[in-house]
Amino acid sequence: MKYVLPLTHPLLATENVSITLSGLQILEDVSIGVPEGTVTGLIGPNGAGKTTVFNIMSGFLTPDSGNVRFDGKKLKHIKTHHLTKLGISRTLQGVGLFASLTALENVMLGGSARVKSGIVADSLGMPWADHEQNKLRAKAMETLTEFGIADVADRYPSELPYPVQKRVAIARSLISDPKVLLLDEPAGGISAGDMAELGRMIKSWTPERTVLLVEHHMELVMDVCDLIWVLDAGKVIASGTPEEVRNNPAVLAAYLGDEGEGH
Amino acid sequence: MTNFVDYLLGGFSNGAVIALMALAIVLVWRSTRMVNFAQVGQAMFTTYVALTIQQSTGSWILALVVAMAAGLVLGIVVFFLVIRPVKNSDSTGAIIATFGVLIALQAGAGMIWGGDPQGFLTPVDNSGIEFAGRIWPISLYDVLVLVVTAALVIGLTLLFTKTNLGLSMRAAAFNPEVARLSGVRVNRMLITGWAIAGATGAVGGVLIAPVSTISPNSFDILLVFAFTAAVIGGLDSLIGAVTFGIGTGLVISLVSGYSDSGNAPIVALILLALNLLLKPDGVFGHHGARSV
Repeated sequence: MKYVLPLTHPLLATENVSITLSGLQILEDVSIGVPEGTVTGLIGPNGAGKTTVFNIMSGFLTPDSGNVRFDGKKLKHIKTHHLTKLGISRTLQGVGLFASLTALENVMLGGSARVKSGIVADSLGMPWADHEQNKLRAKAMETLTEFGIADVADRYPSELPYPVQKRVAIARSLISDPKVLLLDEPAGGISAGDMAELGRMIKSWTPERTVLLVEHHMELVMDVCDLIWVLDAGKVIASGTPEEVRNNPAVLAAYLGDEGEGH
Repeated sequence: MTNFVDYLLGGFSNGAVIALMALAIVLVWRSTRMVNFAQVGQAMFTTYVALTIQQSTGSWILALVVAMAAGLVLGIVVFFLVIRPVKNSDSTGAIIATFGVLIALQAGAGMIWGGDPQGFLTPVDNSGIEFAGRIWPISLYDVLVLVVTAALVIGLTLLFTKTNLGLSMRAAAFNPEVARLSGVRVNRMLITGWAIAGATGAVGGVLIAPVSTISPNSFDILLVFAFTAAVIGGLDSLIGAVTFGIGTGLVISLVSGYSDSGNAPIVALILLALNLLLKPDGVFGHHGARSV
């Protein structure tokens, strides 16, 4: 998928976002864009502010200044529970699965906002509420089947190997049929073979879906991203193709400096 | 041996009511991770509402339904009274605030309905059933109590396991942030939890009133038993609350039968202390479920 800098109409963007937390400036005037249909990477040393960008995009944090734009519209006061309806889905570092829900229920939950039956009909066990829930259950089962893990539907996350838990988490974020997926370190803790599989999977989602990827594994980032933004100490220090970013002296300095500090 | 069986049988319906109160405590715990000590006060208040309805219309069913509706509303009101103002501080403040609500409800009920114990008519006969040549320590009314409790427990179980609301409530309880990311309206789920707890407690109040009479403080002892059952059951577990609610009822009945009913609360507290020493997560509690 092609893009041209500067981006004219990114699907998702932060515009001059700054935020201070507990007296520390975490992000300073950060403007990044995610062109539609691309896999865009957001990288940087530890503490660069990558997850903070995600937290602002998902409404966990409100920036002191600047804003988030999605699909041409400024998002003011992002309500986290509205994200899936807007078409934005986020995975968390680790897996973020509900230990007390089965794999199937975890996936169903991702689509629960689309269920229209409502509190009263659910409480009274109305037939249409059952019908809606059965549809959701079937769709969740279908998604698990696509991911090749239909056999674990009734198992709890703690009973599943870590890579399978990761798949369940991704299945949960896909069931709401998002336009944009925010993936927060999807490759954390998985093997090289699973990582190659993950890379193929992420690429297969585009151009129908758009992906913003925060990831430490550079081989994965370089392999799947069309465009990469580099943050260091809360500021954007570089952007471009994987090739451009790889050869950018400022990026090298940032990463070497990070290692020099013993991270 | 006949005594033992009789004491056991006599404990079931009392245990069922303790189970309902324990359920209400568990429902609140599941939604907001705090114990609502006003729960029995809310049940007392809605039982007075039911008494008023029963006295004016003569209908027990109508009284029960109105009490449940009042319980829902009161649950929501207490949620806003207690949770909203202390939202940004720790939950200790909110728990203390529930004591304040309890005292206010007891004072309010005294002002409206007076402090004297009042009787509550049973809808069906409350004398021991005669069967196979002897009178058993269980009445038609006890059977009704058990049936209503069983229906409510089955209904709640279906709600939590089979509906989207139940799924969303369970998710909101265990990890609000992840639930929000999945599109769950977490605050609405928490309020719903308090409302359902209020209605459940209201049913317990209406069921116990005919056998215990009602006064502003008459349910206080129920709090001790219900809290014991809820904690031993693991605070998170509906099954635990029901099992140990009924279990507590049976123990009370045995203790009262073999010694004196005044010893029952002491035995309950000893059980609670033993539980906290030996198995602090509760028998049905799963520690891991709290960390995601």
